[in-house]
Amino acid sequence: MRTLVFIPAWNEEASVDAVIADVRAHLPGADILVVDDGSTDTTTARAQAAGVLVATLPFNQGLGAALQTGYLWALRQGYDFCAHLDADGQHPAAEVARLLTEVREDRADLVIGSRYAAQAEPLPGAEPEGEDYKATLSRRIGINVFRFILTLATRQRFTDTTSGMRAANRRVMKLFSESYSPDFAEIESLQLAVREGLRVEEVPVRMLERTGGSSFLTPLRSAFFIFKGLIVILVGLFKPRRAEAER
Amino acid sequence: MTALLAPLAAQADHVSLTAQTRIIAAALAILFMVWILDLIRRDRLQERYSVVWFVAGLAMLAGAAFPGLLKFVADLMGVRDTNVALFSIVLLLLLGLALNFSVIMSRQAAQITRLAQERAIERAREQAAREALEKQLDGDAGSKRAEG
Repeated sequence: MRTLVFIPAWNEEASVDAVIADVRAHLPGADILVVDDGSTDTTTARAQAAGVLVATLPFNQGLGAALQTGYLWALRQGYDFCAHLDADGQHPAAEVARLLTEVREDRADLVIGSRYAAQAEPLPGAEPEGEDYKATLSRRIGINVFRFILTLATRQRFTDTTSGMRAANRRVMKLFSESYSPDFAEIESLQLAVREGLRVEEVPVRMLERTGGSSFLTPLRSAFFIFKGLIVILVGLFKPRRAEAER
Repeated sequence: MTALLAPLAAQADHVSLTAQTRIIAAALAILFMVWILDLIRRDRLQERYSVVWFVAGLAMLAGAAFPGLLKFVADLMGVRDTNVALFSIVLLLLLGLALNFSVIMSRQAAQITRLAQERAIERAREQAAREALEKQLDGDAGSKRAEG
């Protein structure tokens, strides 16, 4: 059973080494791929120097396209399972390992690491170091709006709709490598997976405060983000269901 | 056909278009269509995107030659003022065109994304092949040293 962990990175030269080292430490059996989303810094060089394969997009295409590249790679290279986490150091690899356990034991097709679901005790010896993640007010409002609407749309409760820490099996790879919204990767993909009859599950995880950089969300952008998200979910309700992927 | 259109041409007076306006409009329409043909000829515009513009040029020419057409359309729309009808039609056409461009743009954006992803995957494959080769070469050199 082969496992791929991929890390979408856009100008993350400051943290990409540490994330790779973290994944190696906690997921020794997994191959690692960094998807460089057209960085203008040395992200690709640093990741290659760290000894992992790097898929470098020739220009910045957005998180959705970067994630889809990872799913494409996993599918074509014949991996049985894959997982991805952010390159900014917010996602402890120890938690990713827990997500992977869920798909390996076939309890779900797609597992989302949730910051907001009821907190689980960290595994002994795997307590990540660093400040725990705390959401700002505007972010909390946005999160709740999405949570509500996505729950309506999917009839399944999700607490962390925008989490970028996920684990998946081949069914999900097939679906996501074909169809993945470049604009609204996280939310639309959840809705899509549920609609296609895949088992989607949330697992509570610890996330850390980002070590470098800042969130791209300003109030105006948040509003636009929410508006776009609403349209995506609404439209998603009426999208034709594709033929059931080979099971 | 001409018998049908002749009365429409004769209605120019009722549509408040002077002969001068009609000549200018017709000249502009012809110039416009020549321009489009030239763009196609110089490979600046693909045929499939030129059709809609050519049709627009023809419509403009028809409107100039047979002002009665305009009156006819305005009556169909229930608009008393033919100028209002003209502006509404042009506005709607432009709106449709703009939407059409957004659709084309979206399709091309998706194609560009897929192209970029394929390129990224190729790069990772190249890196994997290069590293495998280097490893093999190092291995060969090592075993030769051991023999020597």
